[in-house]
Amino acid sequence: MNIEIATYLTYLSISIALTIWVAHTLHKNGRIFLVDVFHGNEPLADSVNHLLVVGFYLINLGFVSLTLKLGYEIASPKEGIEALSVKVGTVLLVLGGMHFFNLLIFSRMRRRATMRDAPPPVYPDTFTPVQEA
Amino acid sequence: MSTLTLLYDPECGLCRRVHGWLAEQPKLVELKMIPIKTDAARRLYPQLNHDLTAEDLTVISSEGAVYFGPKAWLMVLWALCKYREWSYRLATPQLLPTTRRVVSMISEHRYQISRAAGLTR
Repeated sequence: MNIEIATYLTYLSISIALTIWVAHTLHKNGRIFLVDVFHGNEPLADSVNHLLVVGFYLINLGFVSLTLKLGYEIASPKEGIEALSVKVGTVLLVLGGMHFFNLLIFSRMRRRATMRDAPPPVYPDTFTPVQEA
Repeated sequence: MSTLTLLYDPECGLCRRVHGWLAEQPKLVELKMIPIKTDAARRLYPQLNHDLTAEDLTVISSEGAVYFGPKAWLMVLWALCKYREWSYRLATPQLLPTTRRVVSMISEHRYQISRAAGLTR
């Protein structure tokens, strides 16, 4: 096995492991959020949670496989490690970005849900009887 | 609170424009719009001072809570899906004085603004 193949395989295993770990974290901790957003409707929360994680996997694994190609020759193990670190670093940044994007979605959903039952912003000036037709 | 009734001035172009815009907005609370000083308005609220409703927008909840002027505008924002957050922001003690000033100014000059913006009938 030459250095390039070894670099590619290491890249793939590290990236996939990282994706699984982040997705797992998201899945585990996002659930509590979603249950609150959906007012304790657990089946719905689980379903949305699952769908979000599927999207997360698709985007990240798609990105990982698209950026696999190096485009230049690797002569020494040193160059292999350097190339690997650039690739894994990029994947980490994308994962981080995706993760915060997911958090943003969660918090926005939660805020919208709490807004729905919020009381009026001001007190009335007065009261008047309403004559129903 | 299930419904908010708006008593608006049909003579003012700006109000008619806002009326049209409101009709299209997604709402959290149902909005009914009745022109001011009409029989319908008097029948629905027999004890309300209807001369006051000509001065500024009036909003009345289905329970009979009356909101005049700036408060009425805040209630309208509160009823809209997209602007409920803004209603709280504009009602904070820091922003409420500004909200009052701006809304009162617009209400007071609504005919001039309508004319200037070419919204007259």
